[in-house]
Amino acid sequence: MLRRTLLASAAAVLATAGLASGAQAQTLVMWGPEQITEPLIAELWNGLKADFEAANPGVTVEFMPPTGTISNGAVQSAIQSNAGPDVILTNSGIARVTTVVDAKLVAPLTAAYAERGWDKQIYPWLYAELQRQRGGEIYEVPDGLDALGVWYHKDMFAANGWTMPATYAEFLDLLGKIKDKGIMPIAIGPRTAGSAGHLFGNMLQSASGSEAVGKAVSGELSWTDPSMVGGAVRLRELVDKGYIDKEMAALDLDGAARLWFNKRAALFVAGPWFTANARKAEYDLANAGYAPMPSDLGPGKPTGGVGWSWLVPANSKQPELAMKWIDFILSDAVMKKRAENAASTMIYPRALDGVNPPTAILGDIFAAAAAGVGYNPSVYLPASVVDTYFQVIQGIISAQISGEDAMAQIEAKMAEVK
Amino acid sequence: MATRLTTAARRGIARPKVAHRARRAGREALTSAIPLLLPALAIYALFSLLPIFLTFWLSFTDSRGLNTSASFVGLSNYGRAAADPIVWQSLVHTFQWLLGHLLMAGGLGLILALAVSRLRLTRVVFRTAFFLPHLVSLAVVGVIWANIYDPFYGLLNTALDRLGLGALSQGWLSDPLLVLFSVNVASSWQGFGLYMLLFIAGLQNIDHSLYEAAEIDGANGWQQLWYVTLPGLAEVMTFVVSLAMINGLKGFATVFVMTNGGPFYQSELITTYIYRLAFSMQDHGLAAVLCVLLSTLAIGITVVFNHWRGRLAR
Repeated sequence: MLRRTLLASAAAVLATAGLASGAQAQTLVMWGPEQITEPLIAELWNGLKADFEAANPGVTVEFMPPTGTISNGAVQSAIQSNAGPDVILTNSGIARVTTVVDAKLVAPLTAAYAERGWDKQIYPWLYAELQRQRGGEIYEVPDGLDALGVWYHKDMFAANGWTMPATYAEFLDLLGKIKDKGIMPIAIGPRTAGSAGHLFGNMLQSASGSEAVGKAVSGELSWTDPSMVGGAVRLRELVDKGYIDKEMAALDLDGAARLWFNKRAALFVAGPWFTANARKAEYDLANAGYAPMPSDLGPGKPTGGVGWSWLVPANSKQPELAMKWIDFILSDAVMKKRAENAASTMIYPRALDGVNPPTAILGDIFAAAAAGVGYNPSVYLPASVVDTYFQVIQGIISAQISGEDAMAQIEAKMAEVK
Repeated sequence: MATRLTTAARRGIARPKVAHRARRAGREALTSAIPLLLPALAIYALFSLLPIFLTFWLSFTDSRGLNTSASFVGLSNYGRAAADPIVWQSLVHTFQWLLGHLLMAGGLGLILALAVSRLRLTRVVFRTAFFLPHLVSLAVVGVIWANIYDPFYGLLNTALDRLGLGALSQGWLSDPLLVLFSVNVASSWQGFGLYMLLFIAGLQNIDHSLYEAAEIDGANGWQQLWYVTLPGLAEVMTFVVSLAMINGLKGFATVFVMTNGGPFYQSELITTYIYRLAFSMQDHGLAAVLCVLLSTLAIGITVVFNHWRGRLAR
């Protein structure tokens, strides 16, 4: 009898232990981060993973290296495969997020904002912007903001006595001087959709101002309005004057960046994330300078918007764990750790006191963006328009269409959406 | 007479019996065949018929993705496709691509097969070397050739410059008139090896005595090619043409990797446009219409070509 009781008790203990361990052993599959293969980035994220796992016994975080973004359908494919991630870190912005929201691939997070206090952990203007975008329903948690401006080589500029000008007229003059030196003035890789949009967004804002661009991306102002067309016309002029080589239409971001890193090109439009590309190319970041695109309308400011966000797939197998992970990411400790890490490549979604940027160039970018950033249309335009937007930029760079034609085609697509 | 009637009557009675037996045997064979066929039929239905049906159904809906509820919109997507200039442009490009693939990959396959067949000691070496590109994935081929074509660092323009032929340097992937051709060269480079092997197999089946007879009749090399070799390759050639046309219609990977349809749609094929519509813009309805169009084209071209080939054979 005693033996039977002991055996039964042992079996019960074993079963309970088994159930308990089964309930606690959880895996959170995370899509991202980009460039996880870069040692610095891998070190940072492996550290975060270890911290999270230590704080949540039984939980394992698995990184799923991204094969692409929402723009090229990789995120959608990963979610639809149903063997995909539980939480996603990817390039965002309203256009991209709308694509996966409309396809019902991601879960709404509005309630979580209120319940978990996320609304207090990002800039108030950013929270208001997110609330405005989809009738109050929010589907993303911003991880980082972009601030796109002009990168230049300090040594090249110093050797030639060049400085980044304040007005567009002076900027044109500078481009002429650079070309006369036998250096390509601007490098661009429009085969990578984002890269095409970085320069074009800067040109639009420089010519029309951020308010006009903001109205245009939200459909309040026609893209063919005379106050909007200027940037596209100017871009075509840069091509016609040889300040942008037509053959760059065939380049992707890496190809164009290579021209800049090798100093065959003087200027490149990019954001804080370009520091990662620079490190990979073994470019001396201390030599990199950054300035907003000059404008005749007043002091220039970077274009940008939400660059990267956290999304929770509608079919996430670990939705609660995904929320915990986002809590963890938004915590002061993690945000400071990331902001001060050498692998830091972005502006964080809330003000961080007492944080020293790891590189001087990031300090320059933070300073340029301190007064806010304008609109990068690539991340604000509706998904069905953004493809046309990228194509017409290629059309201008390859001198196939005029600035006016380009804007007319964007407006036609906007009209379809309306 | 009575005997004849009896025999005829017997035959009359016997025929239904034989037919009945045959029918029964047929039924039994069918009964035992069905369970054996079922797994294959189920797989075929699941992986071929169902996707075909779903695609056709999607083409009549406003579906934005698998997780969304789609409404029936009739022929609206077909109307949108007809009114979309990019569809027409990509259709023209698809035909240009198909023709280019046929001529470059098929043509090069034939020329190299003829050349390699004349070799004795080094035949295996060259045959293997020429076939090797076919073993490389099209995506990798795309990356390699995109680097070869790079306007500033690429092998092609650099080589032209070094040879003093800098004037021939081009924006191989940026020039609207060149881009489709340039990408097709890369794709054909990957594809010609298979066609070459098929042609070599065909050449080995030509009776050698025909060449001896032609030689005795005084036929020179070109005449032997024209009157003996090419007619002897007719069967293989029609097969290669069919295969090349189908492969041409399927062109996707190299374009996707090297240009993504650009610049400004100048290398857009129906296949790349389908991908963008379905996975970037989530416009599954319009993408499904183009899938239906592409399938119809593939079936139409194959049927017409086979019909023409049949008439030619008669």
